Amino acid sequence: MSTVHGSEAPADAHSAAVNSRTPLKKRLQHIYRPFRQTSRISRGLIFSGLGVVVFFLLVAFVAPLLYPYSGTQYRKEVAPGEFVKFPALAPPSVEHPFGTTRDGFDVLARIIDAASLAFVVMAIAVSIAMLVGVTLGLYSGYRGGKFDRALVTVMDSVYAFPSLVMAIIVGFVLGSILTQGVFSAAAAVAVVYIPQYYRVVRNHTFSVKQEPFVEAARSFGAKDRTIVGRYIFFNVVQTVPVILTLNAADSILVLAALGFLGYGVPYPIPEWGLDIAKATNDVAAGIWWTAFWPGMAIVLLVTALTLVGEGLNDVVNPLLRTRGKAGRKIAGMPRSRRKNGDGGVTRSADAVRGAAQEKLAAKIRDLRVGYRTSDGPLWAVDGVDLNLRAGECVGLVGESGSGKSSMGRAMLRLMPPGGVVQGEVEIDDRDIVNAPESTVRKMRGEGISLMFQEPMTRLNPLMRVSDHFVEMIRTHQPKTSRQRARTMARDALMQVGIPPTRVDNYPHEFSGGMRQRVMLAMAIVLTPRTIVADEPTTALDVIVESQILSLLERLRSEENVGILLITHNLGVVAEACDRVAVMYAGRIVEMGPVDQIFNDPKHPYTRGLVASTISLNTTELHSVGGYPPNLVEPPTGCRFADRCAYAMDHCTKVDPELTTVGPEQQAACLLYPGAGADVPADVRTPSGDPQKSEV
Amino acid sequence: MKTGSLGRYLVTRVLLAVPSVFILLTLVFLLLHAAPGDPVTATLGGRLPPAEIAARQETLGLNDPIYVQYFNYLAGALTGDFGNPVTDSRSVVEIILETAPATLELAAAGMLIAVTLGVVVGAIAGRLRDTAFDVGGRLFGVVIYAAPVFWTALLGQLLFSVKLGWLPSSGRAGGFDAPEQITGFYVFDSIITGDWEALQSSLLHLILPAVTLGLLIGGVFIRLVRVNMLQTLRSDYVEAARGRGLPERNVLFRHAFKTALIPIITIVGLQFALMLGYAALTETTFSWPGLARELIDFVGTRDYAAVQGIVTFIALVVVGVSLLIDIITGIIDPRVRY
Ligand code: SF4
Repeated sequence: MSTVHGSEAPADAHSAAVNSRTPLKKRLQHIYRPFRQTSRISRGLIFSGLGVVVFFLLVAFVAPLLYPYSGTQYRKEVAPGEFVKFPALAPPSVEHPFGTTRDGFDVLARIIDAASLAFVVMAIAVSIAMLVGVTLGLYSGYRGGKFDRALVTVMDSVYAFPSLVMAIIVGFVLGSILTQGVFSAAAAVAVVYIPQYYRVVRNHTFSVKQEPFVEAARSFGAKDRTIVGRYIFFNVVQTVPVILTLNAADSILVLAALGFLGYGVPYPIPEWGLDIAKATNDVAAGIWWTAFWPGMAIVLLVTALTLVGEGLNDVVNPLLRTRGKAGRKIAGMPRSRRKNGDGGVTRSADAVRGAAQEKLAAKIRDLRVGYRTSDGPLWAVDGVDLNLRAGECVGLVGESGSGKSSMGRAMLRLMPPGGVVQGEVEIDDRDIVNAPESTVRKMRGEGISLMFQEPMTRLNPLMRVSDHFVEMIRTHQPKTSRQRARTMARDALMQVGIPPTRVDNYPHEFSGGMRQRVMLAMAIVLTPRTIVADEPTTALDVIVESQILSLLERLRSEENVGILLITHNLGVVAEACDRVAVMYAGRIVEMGPVDQIFNDPKHPYTRGLVASTISLNTTELHSVGGYPPNLVEPPTGCRFADRCAYAMDHCTKVDPELTTVGPEQQAACLLYPGAGADVPADVRTPSGDPQKSEV
Repeated sequence: MKTGSLGRYLVTRVLLAVPSVFILLTLVFLLLHAAPGDPVTATLGGRLPPAEIAARQETLGLNDPIYVQYFNYLAGALTGDFGNPVTDSRSVVEIILETAPATLELAAAGMLIAVTLGVVVGAIAGRLRDTAFDVGGRLFGVVIYAAPVFWTALLGQLLFSVKLGWLPSSGRAGGFDAPEQITGFYVFDSIITGDWEALQSSLLHLILPAVTLGLLIGGVFIRLVRVNMLQTLRSDYVEAARGRGLPERNVLFRHAFKTALIPIITIVGLQFALMLGYAALTETTFSWPGLARELIDFVGTRDYAAVQGIVTFIALVVVGVSLLIDIITGIIDPRVRY
């Protein structure tokens, strides 16, 4: 069975296109791009964090030059040779804005001095940790063997042990070997982070060694060190800035903790934690300023650094990036006006008759699905009309990115965050798109079921199959008893050919094909009128595929269920469907009975698809050359124009509408009269020229 | 991975933990012996005649070659005998038995507060992503983690003990208020002896240290729970659950939340170790008579025997907790089989 492969649109076209010769402005834009994709709030947090960090850098390295006192100064010179001591424990005043300590030091001066100490310790500690951790990680991961295993055990033991306790011991030991000071404190702090860097780098190194491409390069005599190095570099470069920033934040806390316990820098060197320890007795006397300000400094700086680190993590980790909430409106999103599909503006006589005479499983009118993307809003489905009759199977085909999966989800009003659905989907005389949430929930599973692709991940791994069924059945029919629901589950499983005895198994105990059948059983257990099956057989072997298809066939003929079968596989369509709708760039471009579409396709795009399926040399990935258009700014005129071998001048000006091109067959192409009202008949080239159909 | 029984799994896990405890012991031994000086001189030097000091060093075996000291120490550790500290009349084991319950009680109470806070705020923040609640919750998580625990502790003391006088500022329930010692866990002891006054006093003393500690770790949990919630909320089976028409409440709690919990439980285990470290700070601030504080003091006096004994004990607790976490995960997640 031959398959039409969709040509994948380059999802991130310009990220691949940045190289060393790109002008600086472009490159900066490229770096900033992931930031733009995070929410405004996250960006706000990152940049305010950065602002505070810069402020502290100024405090640490510029303020000492401006502020009159140093942190260890307890008196000032009023006249040459004549000193006056600062008062002890003076509350904040103009002279001493943050007050003075028990030993008569100026609190603000100590905070300023401690800030530079904090940055110095941070820099030393993180450098030591990175140097040691990265080196050991590279070496151990690269070398492998016993050495690697031993070091992993050692590092894991240290990692699991309370890091602060370890730091205290190291701080004490180094302090007594080297004399207590900045370096011993920094080294003690570093000990906490070495295992982290080690683990990250070691695991990357170890895994890349086993990559097939390294193996291959080695057999060609390439230096695998270079490959391994480059690969690790790119992976580590992604994680390390995040770890680094978070460690920098954390190191301030560890330093303060060491200082507080007396294992950090020795008094009277100004250090925030040490100063708080010195202020402990003041607190009992109700004096707040000696402890409060150093603590505030720590909180501010650590918070700021953490925000930057977490923000970077959000940027690096795209999973957390999509923003917005599902809804029905996107402000500022241009709404295209054109209608498309059967029963739309160009409602054909056939479709009208069909709608009037037959019972419809689903009636779709002007359905639109919009998303916000980093480049702007786009309509992935752009005004589709479709009548799905009861007992009918309609195949929805198209390349990836044509909008077919979005359309399937929209029929249940299922949207990811940032998506909107508009238009109408009428099932059992109720419009699911505009219904209140409670109605929508009731209709899902009971009126219309969706069978997803990737059966492996669609079941909750922690719940038995029976619990999935019972939960679903009792949600929709609260009066059904548990016992009854279990019986229904067994019956449904039996229908799809799974032994009912397995009802209490967990999802991971089933194979992929079985799980897909479990999903199907769940889709039919409440006997919905409509089933949307999204690539139900992808990734399954041919035998399981035909089992699933014959199950769908039986539902259709025996239960009179309307099925929308979404697929990129024309073979599946030929086997299971009555009609086909071909989707391209968010619209239906051709639709009609299966045999007609296969034997006499009218739209140039359909011709390309069919030709590449029927002819034997279908090894190439892109069955139709070129890429679908960018939907953020869809081209005027026909969306297929720049890939179309028949394209005429006015194709880029006039937007074609679906028009009748045969019995029950419609196509949206200007080659056919009626597709564009204002195109003069004499410019049309005759259709159906077999010479030209090799697209 | 359906091989073996829970029992065999536990035995394997314990056996696997042995090298890790051994490594820590060796590391600590080496570190302590790398520092110049010895416990006797450090604590008694100048106060006793040199001959007396030399004699004590001799009895403690401090003049033996280092490898002899190491093997003696390992042999002691194996038989559960960690020797006697120089500065304390109690044996190391007695010290541990006396002070560990205080630390564990504090850590457990702190963990309870942290988990409750983290799970509730984190789950809601993940659900209400990018709302005021989410931003507030995240910021709170970051700020509270950024605050040194001893500083929040001092501020808490200043406000609730010194200014308002609502809570005791330090120590555990003491004197007449202390319950009869059975397990050493005061809250537990006062409940089983039915001593309600002791219970009240124990709880009052516990509130401030436990809340300080709990807030700190709770900050970590808020962020963690939120991220895991976000990830599960967009997982395939959550979408599938919505597609079956389940109400949002069920989708959230039965499908999203429970799975999000698994990595969280694992991290709770790791954080417990971290918490023992922070407990040292909290105990110092609140004069809480716990193990971690003892350890800090013994490090200062270079008391090998005591430090090594307490480190071993902490390492064992860490191993025990991670074992417990594995068992809990195994119960929740059917994919894990021993
Ligand atoms: S309208 Fe023009 S460009 Fe579009 S498919 Fe028809 S011939 Fe090709």
